[in-house]
Amino acid sequence: VRRLSVTSVSVLRAIADGFEYGFDVIDRTGLPSGTVYPALSRLERDGYARSAWEDEQRAFREGRPARRYYRITAPGTRALDDALRYYRTLLPLGRRQEPS
Amino acid sequence: VTSCDHLLRLAAALAPHDIRGSWLREWRAEIAYAQRRQDDATLVVRCLGAFVHAAWLRWDRWRIEMLVQDLKYALRTLTRKPGFAAVTILTLAVGIGANAAIFSAVRAVVFRPLPFPQPGQIVQISSTKAQGPQYYGGAASPPDYTDWRTNSASFSEMAAISAGSIPWSGHGPAEQVPSANVTGGFFNVLGVAPMYGRAIGYEDDAMGAPDVVVVSHELWTRRLGSDPSVIGRTMMLDGITRRIVGIMPAGLSYPLGTELWIPLRFSSDVLATQRGAHYLDVIARLRPDVARDAAQAEMSTVVRQLAATYPRTNGNKGVAIFGLREAMVGNVRPALLVLLGAVGFVMLIVCVNVASLGLTRAVGRSRELAVRAALGAGRSRLINAMLVESVVLAAAGGVAGLLLANWAAQGLAALDSTLGIPMLDETRVDRAVLLFTALVSLSAALLFGTVPAWHAASRLDVVQRIREGAGTLTAGKERQRLRAGLIVLETALAVVLLVGAGLMMRSFLRMTGVDLGIDTARVQTFSVSLPETKYSTPESRALSVDTLLTRLSANPDVEAVGAVAGLPLTRFSHGYTTSTLDGRTLSDAEQDARTVQVRVVTPQYFQVLGIPVVRGRTFAEADRLGSATVAVVDERAAAVLWPQGDALGHRFELGTRLGQNGRRAGGEVIGIARPVHELGPAGPLRPTVYLAHAQFPVDFITVTMKARADEAALVEPARTVLADFDPDLPMFRVRSMEQLAAGAVAQPRLYFTLILLFAGAAMLLAAIGIYGVLMHAVSQRTREIGIRLALGASRHEVVTGVVCHAALLASAGLGLGVLFALGATRYVRSLLFQIQPTDAVTYVSVAAGLLLVAVIASYLPARRASCIDPATALRNE
Repeated sequence: VRRLSVTSVSVLRAIADGFEYGFDVIDRTGLPSGTVYPALSRLERDGYARSAWEDEQRAFREGRPARRYYRITAPGTRALDDALRYYRTLLPLGRRQEPS
Repeated sequence: VTSCDHLLRLAAALAPHDIRGSWLREWRAEIAYAQRRQDDATLVVRCLGAFVHAAWLRWDRWRIEMLVQDLKYALRTLTRKPGFAAVTILTLAVGIGANAAIFSAVRAVVFRPLPFPQPGQIVQISSTKAQGPQYYGGAASPPDYTDWRTNSASFSEMAAISAGSIPWSGHGPAEQVPSANVTGGFFNVLGVAPMYGRAIGYEDDAMGAPDVVVVSHELWTRRLGSDPSVIGRTMMLDGITRRIVGIMPAGLSYPLGTELWIPLRFSSDVLATQRGAHYLDVIARLRPDVARDAAQAEMSTVVRQLAATYPRTNGNKGVAIFGLREAMVGNVRPALLVLLGAVGFVMLIVCVNVASLGLTRAVGRSRELAVRAALGAGRSRLINAMLVESVVLAAAGGVAGLLLANWAAQGLAALDSTLGIPMLDETRVDRAVLLFTALVSLSAALLFGTVPAWHAASRLDVVQRIREGAGTLTAGKERQRLRAGLIVLETALAVVLLVGAGLMMRSFLRMTGVDLGIDTARVQTFSVSLPETKYSTPESRALSVDTLLTRLSANPDVEAVGAVAGLPLTRFSHGYTTSTLDGRTLSDAEQDARTVQVRVVTPQYFQVLGIPVVRGRTFAEADRLGSATVAVVDERAAAVLWPQGDALGHRFELGTRLGQNGRRAGGEVIGIARPVHELGPAGPLRPTVYLAHAQFPVDFITVTMKARADEAALVEPARTVLADFDPDLPMFRVRSMEQLAAGAVAQPRLYFTLILLFAGAAMLLAAIGIYGVLMHAVSQRTREIGIRLALGASRHEVVTGVVCHAALLASAGLGLGVLFALGATRYVRSLLFQIQPTDAVTYVSVAAGLLLVAVIASYLPARRASCIDPATALRNE
């Protein structure tokens, strides 16, 4: 299995942290939209994330169209853990902590 | 927001059709959500990302779909024509396999880095002639080595090596172990640390330092039970007790084959007197900041200064610095690269052949391709599909080729010992070979796939193609020409290989036709080294050898027994200058001009090896220590020493005592012998003098036994006799003269066999190519031939037409090939013996052979053409 790229890790991590909509992921990661959206599509294609439309009623109440949200899947969680563990080994000694 | 929507609608055009709606909905929802929080500029920038997203989706979809579709399509079309697929894969497998195998050998010998840290910094310093070509491995003398080391600054370490072998006794059966005497810096030059204990260091250089030895991992596992506690124990080596101080890690075997390293020491006497004794190999490690050229310049200065100080010994000396790998394999490198080139030619021929096959198939498929084009497939789509097909074929060929290569690499690795190609035994299919194979396969796919693909897709005249495919039109002249061109090219490439093989065959035949000057039949040999500690006096050595030979000759199967120091065909070289002739001391120049090879022999040696003594006599029992010294010289030496007149009865002395204190080597000439090709058929004949072992009893001899019947049957009885005589004397280098004679031509034989194999494959492929073109041409022209026959052409004329077609193709290929060959064969010049690269006999034979093959290849197509029934041919329309 191929290890996730840094971009994919950032995006998947954002989703896992509850930033489930495309633009929220962009805000969270600081990555450009032209990077985040292909990454989302790729993660979905590879089975690490799945997408669905939010509840129409709720969107209607807020006076806007329904948005598509993304959720991390079980293989996605595993791949994310695996990738984070790996990237952590690349940190300089003494700084091997959970990235904030 | 409006401008954002414009942008999104534009971008949506890029997104795949079926998801365009939901894609647009998602982006619009995000913009609507974000517009309350973010300013317009940010939103517009984010919308630009939508273009990237849409394009990515389109590309991703296309990539997967097309690839899967093309793969499926390729597999389907290939399984529909299994014959074509099988022939193609097999052809490719042979080409790729041969390439991968030869590459793996070349990599093992020439390219794979030596197993030392920073191997590029390790160099060999070769003592050469001041003028003339630079050569590898020119040995240095102890004083020269010491001066080099003291006066140079380019190297962090320098070491001298004297490689050989040493008898090991007192630990099971006595054994002769490959060994190297090395100075203190040796292991620092290599950068290798011991696995246990210590290496040989500078403290071991001092005269009187303890006698120590360092053991290789191989010997440690083979004979010492892999026991680390052997450190501190002793070994009895050549009669001297040495303490084991270190065990080297696995894989370290330098000089190649070495199993023991022993300190090399120079006494002040040696350093004062032996400036002319060249027997040391010198290696060094360059300082990291020094380039090899700079080191060469510095060493040249050092050597010039030495030449000025010691003109007698160093006057014409030069120096050359080579990378260690280059120095180790320099002699076989050109041959291996020629082989790699030859096998590359085979691959090109394979590609051309497969391309030609593919072209034939593309013709058969023109209708299908035209239909696909008519249904909307673009040119790039069609080319893509056909290339995927090529890649599938090449991948299958690559896998099959790799299996072949693996098998061949094992065979090549097993050849090692008889050939003298260093490190050939390390030939294996490693990651680099895998990468090479993948590259070759991919390039092959592109080479043989592009031509038919491009051609098939280039002229998509749908109507014409559909009609052509249905057989109502003869195929385009252009396509015929393209195929013919490919065949001409293929034939030309085959000619180059055939000429190369022909030259090497003639050269090899010349080589094996050389009379070596000895009779190798039924002669068994083995070597014995008498330890100096035990056989310290000349008398004891003379007596021991005499006794040993007498006991060996007691075997009734033995016809005669002799012994020699310096057996022919073993690359033995002991050259000495002549110092006096008939009592007159020669000048320095005269001495140098009369350098002769010295062989110390027992009386029966000439009889055993069948060396005719044409005048005078050989040695007799009466020629022994204390009696007047005598010598037999060969005709070359006689001509060199006494150019005018007869050598018999004259006296000479050499500049050596052969380690026998007292008399200088030499004596009165009592016999003239025929010269012997000591260095093999291709080596030069060197002036040689024979001295009697009884008068100059050297400690290293090779026993030669002539058998009445089977020489191999003499080995075991001889081993018993030797063990009986002295159990501490190992019997080593047990070889028959036939084996040595075969070994002397083993390398040329291997190169010639491989090239012949490649050339044979090339010829076969060319014949198949010509056959294929003709067969196809005949089947395409069935209608035309039918009409001709109907109009009164004779069958003979039809057959002649086809055969002429074949001859025309072959002649064109021949013409082109001869031009190629004239250019290419100069690279094999160094591999040829008494044959010029432009050898007319070879060229004419190749031309005649190729034309003959072309005519044979045209037989079946010609027969088919002559059997065409005009009525049937026309009815089929």
